[in-house]
Amino acid sequence: DSHTQYERVGADVTMKCGSMDWDAAVTWTVNGTDINESQLTRSAQLNGSYLILKNVGLSESGQYSCYEGSSWHLKYQTYLRVGTPPKEPVLMCRSNNYPKGFYCSWHLPTPTYIPNTFNISVIHGTKDMICEKDAVPKNRCHIRYIQLFSTVKYKVTLTVTNALGKNFTTLTFDEFAIVKPDPPESVVAKPVPNNPRRLEVSWQNPSSWPDPESFPLKFFLRYRPLILDQWQHVELSDGTSHTITDAYAGKEYIIQVAAKDNDIGTWSDWSVAVHATPWTEEPKHLTTEAQITETTSASTSSFMAPPTTKICDKGAVVGSGAVAVCWTAGLVVAAYSVLFI
Amino acid sequence: MAAADSPSAALRRRDLCSRGIRLAGKMRADVVDLLDIYVEQQGLDASVSVAAVEGVPLAAVERWDEQTGTQRLLENLAAYRAFRALLAQMLEEQREQLGEADAGLGRALAAVLLQVSAFAYHLEELLRLESRGIPGEEGDEPPPLPRLSLFEQKLRGLGVLRELAQWAVRSARDLRQLAKPSPATGTAPGLAESP
Repeated sequence: DSHTQYERVGADVTMKCGSMDWDAAVTWTVNGTDINESQLTRSAQLNGSYLILKNVGLSESGQYSCYEGSSWHLKYQTYLRVGTPPKEPVLMCRSNNYPKGFYCSWHLPTPTYIPNTFNISVIHGTKDMICEKDAVPKNRCHIRYIQLFSTVKYKVTLTVTNALGKNFTTLTFDEFAIVKPDPPESVVAKPVPNNPRRLEVSWQNPSSWPDPESFPLKFFLRYRPLILDQWQHVELSDGTSHTITDAYAGKEYIIQVAAKDNDIGTWSDWSVAVHATPWTEEPKHLTTEAQITETTSASTSSFMAPPTTKICDKGAVVGSGAVAVCWTAGLVVAAYSVLFI
Repeated sequence: MAAADSPSAALRRRDLCSRGIRLAGKMRADVVDLLDIYVEQQGLDASVSVAAVEGVPLAAVERWDEQTGTQRLLENLAAYRAFRALLAQMLEEQREQLGEADAGLGRALAAVLLQVSAFAYHLEELLRLESRGIPGEEGDEPPPLPRLSLFEQKLRGLGVLRELAQWAVRSARDLRQLAKPSPATGTAPGLAESP
């Protein structure tokens, strides 16, 4: 006969060769390999036809088979799985989609190395509620709120069971306490043209938050230059954008945003960090009137201003690189060109 | 209802809703502070569970998102009228128990009572705007409660304040729903419907 046998780490295991007598001649294999005399160790011994495994460890897991000596008939087979009973599971419940419902997720603090089953029960006052298991991830289930604004607490009990034992944990909380939105999404930070100390930051409500109009979120922004450790903080009660006005000129900044329901619950985790550097002026080069005149008289067909010329605003430049021309320079050059044709 | 749909009525409704939301927010913050004072002064454990008390309107509601605007207003009004009576009773009991020994708690209770009254009035304004009849208060007297022991009074007071804190959150949500323009008519959802 063949079956699975579960044993605790550190246990002593005795395997009998089915109905064979103690003094029968048998051969044991583990995972298809004969356990012969040379392979027997202190932890694996033969007592007649019995196989004794002392102080089993995880490496002793495997398929053990016993064959009658001469005929090689399979007399016994077992799959030995060495593991541990479950420790108290870690359970967490959270509503990131208030007021639709909440989810609970769990895990074991240490692995058991054998299969576990989890059972969750949710009670609200005297009512049992169904926590629908998610397909992915497997250690999660979700509940739809039937009532809102209740002062009656929810009690969630998670029981974990395996072949070697069971354990459980309980969480008790009220509706408001577990509300924690997901972090804001699509955080963007941009420099503000011609403003060396400003950065414009914008973001969006987390897509999991179902009704930001009726359940508005407030936000917390934090920012610091990369070269410093201290964060600046700003709390914003509405809107999904903010202009930082005290940035250090020319320094790269790291910026994050968090969200919270306006009235209840706790702050989300920080959003993905974005980096931005405030606008800086391009370096100036010295130039004279004579240089401008010389250049324009030499070329009548291409209206090229010297790249170092600063006779117009950056914003008025058309084109790029060596062929960059600004409108006012273009007019001046055109005027001179006409004179010299 | 033509009056309820007019642009000026819509503006007035939005204005009343915004102010109501701010009132509810302030009320909630004050009730939370009052709860701390109450628990300390009455020698209670803040985590003690209090069973639902007769006469205290429960904020808990099923299918909240399906309620019409009128339902929201009427339920809120009934609740705050009940709280007005309950807080007045608490104030009286507190004066009997502690006299002048704890003016701080008395003042905090009185301040919240004032806000509850103001909020009830605010709700009546919103109902008037919708040309809805405001339910009368005659016969709304809470049934006379059996004389409670001092400890039972304290627990009931805790239950009242906790439920009021929940209502303050619910009311802000209700008013935000009311303030939403209806996609079809441009009026607040549910208010154009007959009760």
